[in-house]
Amino acid sequence: MKKALALVLAFVMVFVFTACNNTPSQEESGKTQHEVGGQIVVGSVTDLDDNMMDGWTNGAQNASIRNLIFGYAPVVYTKEGTFEVDPQVAESVEGVENEDGTKTFTIKLQKDLKWNDGTAITAKDYVFSILLHTSPAYYALEAQDTMTYANCFTGYDAYFNGETKTFSGVRLIDDYTFSVQIVAEELPFHFDIAYASIAPYPMAVIAPDCDITDDGNGATISDNFTAELLQKTINDTEEGYRYYPTVTCGPYEFVSYDKTTKQAVLQVNDQYKGTYDGVKPSIEKIILKSVTDATQMDELKNGTVDLISGVSGGTAINAGLDICDAGDAQYASYLRAGYGQITFSCDFGPTQFVKVRQAIAYCLDREEFAKQYSGGFAQVVNGEYGLSSWEYKERKDVIDSELNSYSKDLEKAKQLLIEDGWTLNENGGEFVEGVDKVRYKNVDGKLMALEINWANTPNNPVSDLLNTMLPGEMEKVGMKLNATTVEFGVLLNNMYRQGIDEPTYHMFNLATGFVPIPSYWYEMSTDEKYFGSYNQNYIKDEQIEQIALEMKKIPADDTEAWLDKWVEYQKRWNELLPNIPLYSDEYHDFYSNKIKGYEPDGLWQWESAILYSWIEE
Amino acid sequence: MAKYILRRLLYLVFVFFIVSIIMFFIYKSVPGDPARMMIDSSKQSVDPERYEQMYQAAREQLGLDKPLPIQYISWITNMLKGDLGFSTQYRQPVSQIVGVPMGNTIMLNLVSMVLVFLITIPLGIVTAVKKNSPLDNAVQVGTVVGYSLPSFVIALLFIFLFANLLPIFPISGMNAPGLTGDGFNVFLDRMYHMALPCLVMTFASLGGITRYVRAAMIDVLRQDYIRTARAKGLREKVVIYSHAFRNALIPIVTVLTGWLVSVFGGSVVIETIFLWNGIGKVLYDALMQRDFMVVLAMQMFYVIITLAGNLLMDLAYMLVDPRVKLGN
Repeated sequence: MKKALALVLAFVMVFVFTACNNTPSQEESGKTQHEVGGQIVVGSVTDLDDNMMDGWTNGAQNASIRNLIFGYAPVVYTKEGTFEVDPQVAESVEGVENEDGTKTFTIKLQKDLKWNDGTAITAKDYVFSILLHTSPAYYALEAQDTMTYANCFTGYDAYFNGETKTFSGVRLIDDYTFSVQIVAEELPFHFDIAYASIAPYPMAVIAPDCDITDDGNGATISDNFTAELLQKTINDTEEGYRYYPTVTCGPYEFVSYDKTTKQAVLQVNDQYKGTYDGVKPSIEKIILKSVTDATQMDELKNGTVDLISGVSGGTAINAGLDICDAGDAQYASYLRAGYGQITFSCDFGPTQFVKVRQAIAYCLDREEFAKQYSGGFAQVVNGEYGLSSWEYKERKDVIDSELNSYSKDLEKAKQLLIEDGWTLNENGGEFVEGVDKVRYKNVDGKLMALEINWANTPNNPVSDLLNTMLPGEMEKVGMKLNATTVEFGVLLNNMYRQGIDEPTYHMFNLATGFVPIPSYWYEMSTDEKYFGSYNQNYIKDEQIEQIALEMKKIPADDTEAWLDKWVEYQKRWNELLPNIPLYSDEYHDFYSNKIKGYEPDGLWQWESAILYSWIEE
Repeated sequence: MAKYILRRLLYLVFVFFIVSIIMFFIYKSVPGDPARMMIDSSKQSVDPERYEQMYQAAREQLGLDKPLPIQYISWITNMLKGDLGFSTQYRQPVSQIVGVPMGNTIMLNLVSMVLVFLITIPLGIVTAVKKNSPLDNAVQVGTVVGYSLPSFVIALLFIFLFANLLPIFPISGMNAPGLTGDGFNVFLDRMYHMALPCLVMTFASLGGITRYVRAAMIDVLRQDYIRTARAKGLREKVVIYSHAFRNALIPIVTVLTGWLVSVFGGSVVIETIFLWNGIGKVLYDALMQRDFMVVLAMQMFYVIITLAGNLLMDLAYMLVDPRVKLGN
């Protein structure tokens, strides 16, 4: 009976994301296909290196190239900020909850997918991608784990540790169907469909003569798949796939990379079917080169660069806007998916008390700070979100009206400190304003001074500005800020508490960025194993942890529930204030007048936006 | 002579080992964790347990899990075998990373050095001979300006003048983007892109060497044997070039040797502003990223070059001044 019920349940709970074989063409998607032609030169202040395959370096330019030349994952992140099945790639993606608590995603591929050399892409290339990226042979090449979610697939440990050549949680069903099984411990998970976001790799190029079979116990790669083989096919400096990924399936194909000049050339991939909404790239050639902060706008003006993305800071933006005002270029601006912040240690010293953290926030005029830091090209947020996030856009009214903005108010700061018991002086007598400088509080029978040790980094304009705006105001309410300038590595060591026996600093300043899949449940976990690298605040608040854990379990299609919990999370976060958000840059992309239809966003960066653009000389 | 060279070579080996020990332990004591910097970008996409596994694997891979003396022995042994270590930033052997930038740096420095010496030596001689003349005064002022201005100011000024105002040269880079053509066209394009950084480096270096040559020449021109040569009725050209300049060469040799050594050293400022893919920027980035294997390999290379340069300088002294006897 139990078994039958489970089967029925499993059947009922089949979660089908299906594209119903409706592959939108460009015409159907309502977008005009422009004639393919022209070239653009994209400049970046980040250097490019020769690692074109993922697993080795992660510079912004290299990541952009990978986004342009690799593709065809069955599940994609859309401009609207959601994970969707890509109908160009998959006929269907079905999620089935199994009896043992695991979940299997079965991916049925479209049959007309091709590599840029015209050969067919099959399920074997997808399964190979998983078997490659999680194999000991791949790690023998000093590669970094990039298919990080694969450790949630059943049988990962045995395969990863080299105990077997069979990955039990990955199944090769037929030429165009494969599946992955997620372990029960990772479920339920709001973003579980992202587990099916697997990009193919050309097995015929990387592992020629190897084969993948499935006898019912999982996908097995043949014994001739070895580190020695990959050393030759991937790591060879003359023709290895790591440096020359000539067979790919993204919107563009790799043409060349010049080690001497650090320039890369990409060309449109004729075999590419289109983006999830049926768009094919129109710009024929993209050249990537480095630029410097000092001369990037001159390069744009002189026409040696056609696109510079992610420009921040008043000086650079104003220089770019001047060029635009003169009619020599155009720009698009969007809010950064991230911000600069003050991070508190919430487990010791004065900052372990919520009201102290709140009082510090009341001492800083954040609007003025953002204005001065960015030259007016930044905004202030009041929670753990970016202004470009879809959740914020959906719940803007609630967030803007119900979250505390901590506008500068020294009286309020003082009141909070008094409420929290910071009413004594260094001798244990009553704190008298104008006479005593620092407030004290009786904590576990001992006097604790309201002195905040702050670690900051050298040559950092944020630190400099904080140093100007904060200590004096804090002093007015009876707090003392002790600033120490340390190297970034030292700051991180102190924040993560690696090699640090006794924590010293209560406060740090650094920046953070948001990714499509958040990790609130790790960041706010009270489990000490997450302290440091994830829960950087060492905060122990069961209420916010509970909210985060509940968010993790919300079914993927229950957007309303996710948004409600997200608001709840932000409210609690705003109250606890583990960090103080300082500024969220308004990034500017400057581009030449010949580029049309270019619309970037915080999480929709130039390499996505450029696919929808075209050239008009 | 051979005995002297052998003794100096033994000394070179001894100094090399002492410096290697000091450098290794200095870099190991620099704050920051190379293993964490190597994997930090994965943090947002993996669960904490997997992150910890990756961190420990990275430590093991870099040998950071072993005691420092063992790390040193392993590093120096590999280095002597030609294995310069593994770059945490590029995830490649160090030898694979430094070759191309070193070649670019040498090319830029050599061209600039030739230009500098072609200009400064005659200029130094002329200004010494025509001391206090309007020409001398003008050169003195010009060289002081070049000498005093930081190279990044000169670079930006030259970019403004010669790439923006008069668009003669490209702003930065080593080749036109997407350039296609035969080897000769690529070479010409490279020379065209090298012109502006070369001009800046030359201009910034004119002051020092011109003044050095001038001072050396003025010293020599005051000597009695110059007066004697003139009294003998020798032509002024012969007095200056055969008698004065040859004697003035002795201090110049020191500078020249120093320059030869610096041919291998990149300029972070010039390479960054002109986006010249040279060794200076590689070294700077490696330091910032705690990529110590790259830094250590390059530092040891410079130790060898400097020690060899010193030996070369002593030998050159002997060649230009027969009074110098080495080893005595």
